[in-house]
Amino acid sequence: MLAQALEHLVAGIVEHPDDVVVRARQQRRGRLLEVHVHPDDLGKVIGRSGRTATAFRTVIGALADDRVRIDFVDVDER
Amino acid sequence: MSEAESGTATPDTEGAAGRDVSQLEHEGDVAADYLEGLLDIADLDGDIDLDVENDRAVVSVVGDGLETLTGSNGEVLEALQELTRLAVLRETGERSRLMLDVGQFRAQRKSELIDLAKQAVETVRSTGEPESLGAMTPFERKVIHDAVGAAGLRSESEGVEPRRYVVVLPA
Repeated sequence: MLAQALEHLVAGIVEHPDDVVVRARQQRRGRLLEVHVHPDDLGKVIGRSGRTATAFRTVIGALADDRVRIDFVDVDER
Repeated sequence: MSEAESGTATPDTEGAAGRDVSQLEHEGDVAADYLEGLLDIADLDGDIDLDVENDRAVVSVVGDGLETLTGSNGEVLEALQELTRLAVLRETGERSRLMLDVGQFRAQRKSELIDLAKQAVETVRSTGEPESLGAMTPFERKVIHDAVGAAGLRSESEGVEPRRYVVVLPA
């Protein structure tokens, strides 16, 4: 549910919504959600001083019952 | 989301005021799509009310059990409002000042803040000294400034986000 929620939130603000993919990975310290976006959209999802990235983390953190890390990467780094 | 893309702003020929309202209504529709998608995925029950107030679109998610989307200090609500404004910007190409409320959080907080402002005004009137309030969000500070102004005193914001706060000034 978290990955799907994050994908919806991210896809709704970017210029290339079809390129948005969120992968969930289980790590030793908890869950990691890896957000892949079109390279042109990376700045947009991070925002000035990381403001937008923080907003995503706040909303997803509220929906999660445990610690979740969120990383933003562009699709070229797949 | 694809639904939102098909709904472009309705052309309007009735002058600036009419166009503004239809733009704000369109902002509300885009915001509603974005938020409804989130509610569905998160399996939260909420209805979305749209309104236009003081030249702003007001989007209210109403229902019970929505505390998850506000956070104890409204921090989740602020984050969600920020993202919703960006979703509107993507669709309309215009920065949005839309106000989001969830589970009446802002409405309740507003009445608490108005009481707080009234108390501060009384204190300042009796002491003649400036009175500093605690750190607040931009929304909260605006409520205080408006309430202080309505009571006939002035106030200003000092400090740096997120520790910015209001000082009520003596007459």
